[in-house]
Amino acid sequence: MAALQLLVNGVALGAAYALVALGFVLVLNATAAVNFAQGDLVMAGGLLGVAAAPLIPLPGIVLLPVVLALMAALGLLLAVVAYLPLRNRPPVSVFISTIAVGIILQNGAAILFGPEPRAAPPLFGDDTLRLGGLALPEQSLAIIAVAALLIGAQQWVFGRTQLGRRLRATAQDPEMARACGVPVTAMILVTFAIGAACAGAAGLLLANRYFVTPTAGGDLILKAYIAVTVGGWGSVPGAVVGALLIALFEVGVSSVLSYPVALGALYATLLAILVLRPQGLFGEAVRRRG
Amino acid sequence: MRRALSLLIGLLAGVPIAARADTLSFPVLVPLTGFLSLEGTSQRNGAVLALKQTPAGITVASEVVDTGTSPEAAVTALERAAGSGTVGAVAASMLGTQMLAMLPLAQELKLPLVTVSGTASITEQGNPWVFRFFPGDAVTKSAHARYVVEELGKRRPAVIYQTTAYGQSGKTHLDAAFKALGVTPVFEEGVDPAAKDLLPVLTKALAAGPDVLVLHLHSGPTALLLRQAASSGVTLPIVAGSAMHQPSTAALLEPSELKGVCAETAASPVSGGSAEMQAFTDSYRAAFGKEPDAFALGQYDGMTMVLEAVKAGARSPDAIRKALSAEAFQGLAMTYKSDGKGNMAHSAVIVCYDGTSRVPKLAKRYDDPTLAAQ
Repeated sequence: MAALQLLVNGVALGAAYALVALGFVLVLNATAAVNFAQGDLVMAGGLLGVAAAPLIPLPGIVLLPVVLALMAALGLLLAVVAYLPLRNRPPVSVFISTIAVGIILQNGAAILFGPEPRAAPPLFGDDTLRLGGLALPEQSLAIIAVAALLIGAQQWVFGRTQLGRRLRATAQDPEMARACGVPVTAMILVTFAIGAACAGAAGLLLANRYFVTPTAGGDLILKAYIAVTVGGWGSVPGAVVGALLIALFEVGVSSVLSYPVALGALYATLLAILVLRPQGLFGEAVRRRG
Repeated sequence: MRRALSLLIGLLAGVPIAARADTLSFPVLVPLTGFLSLEGTSQRNGAVLALKQTPAGITVASEVVDTGTSPEAAVTALERAAGSGTVGAVAASMLGTQMLAMLPLAQELKLPLVTVSGTASITEQGNPWVFRFFPGDAVTKSAHARYVVEELGKRRPAVIYQTTAYGQSGKTHLDAAFKALGVTPVFEEGVDPAAKDLLPVLTKALAAGPDVLVLHLHSGPTALLLRQAASSGVTLPIVAGSAMHQPSTAALLEPSELKGVCAETAASPVSGGSAEMQAFTDSYRAAFGKEPDAFALGQYDGMTMVLEAVKAGARSPDAIRKALSAEAFQGLAMTYKSDGKGNMAHSAVIVCYDGTSRVPKLAKRYDDPTLAAQ
């Protein structure tokens, strides 16, 4: 029974991490640049939820569209300020500019909200469902459902719509896409908006059960980076699987061994993957597609 | 002519010197950003509130500098502060690594450092310029263990601690305190502060068959574990570390999730206890719009003792150091007196939540609990 409960917690955590990694990999594909502000965007999404809660005293699920819209706007701003002016410079310029944006977000959040940990409202309720000996927090179930819905919707947009085809074309070969009449710059802006919205959703989902502080982003960007590396650099399904794998270690392995050992095992696994399969778990699919 | 010129120069130079003699500077060098920003902000607020009580005839100047979390930034801030006027004493970072880096420079500059850092080693360097106004882990963890064993009558504690320096130090002192009481924990495990889900460690701790959960975690992880314990239906008593007493930690939880939870701390200003304490809490709320914690109160008491020394005639860093070394001071949290190494605080309290509010009640006070535990 305890194992089942841990499984639910692990999947909920992995689902939220998957949204973080997804936003990260979308921007990576579209721009070939690493957005190091992704973790701080997650933090910003969580704090937006905290700030909006008193203004909209309704369940978090009502706040979600508000947070998605505001974070998409923040993503556009990020692209305009930290990516577009540097797009023709070496990739390291964008690394640095996104790191700078992350620090600005962190310190801005510390000034606006203070250093205290805060909790966003739950998506539906704070209750715990009891099934036999199993205690299932409603928020965990809601995280899984909402994250699955958002990931599914994103897959549908990318796979079945004209916008998605243009976004994918931009990600795969910007020059060819431009030659075919795709507005590449607009597509990059849309990608930043979607990536930041994913981060915002993850922030709102995580900030109720796991709280949020202005410095929370640093740890999350590391996890997104690991998820994308494990899954295959640039692979969308790989990012989701990588995120679930991290949660498996954090919740599953640590329940058998200990958290520090589980963390060590995660990094050992990452090293093993890099040695034995440098392209990551889903790397071949990416190569074929390219 | 040359003599007259020299006299004129001397007089002109003497004017600012005389003016400066009545102005003492008390720089506040604390971590306002980074992982210790919550506690550092409390420390700053306590120091700033105390420094508003300017002694008659003295102009008190104070500058607040964010030291972040790097030792280099703290040393640079101290060097800069020392070069800007007559410094009486410094409200210095509560981050142990920053204190250790600043100590040699403070000795060289002959500046008293007044801190609430809990790191034991800062007062074990033989440096006469450091004064700690917060009980060290030897005091608080002794009170923690004694409450568990002597008051609750529990002998099978499960200890969950943080893997940071703060957590390791607390765990070491808890081990020693439990050993002195003839108790061996049935479970001990460290948790990284970045761990999002604490159900795994909670499940393992419960599987060990404890009769009490003993926590020594930072603010967020404490709240996270208590919430997961409540949702898992855990009914064991829980005695947490000092992070639990912080109002910002309790704010993350529903009062019902706090039922039966106790915590060790140096003091709990929001719990009241005296008219002076209430006045401090009211002033703090008015000035900063938030609730004070023990770190704020410790730094407030420390800087108030410094200002009392100034009122009594201490006009130089060395005179202030001598006063802090020799005098006893009745602060709001406790009576402070140096043990010869700069440890000024020797009391700890246990506070408990009754499940109806987020304000804890004082359950037990320990004055120098280490002596009684031996």
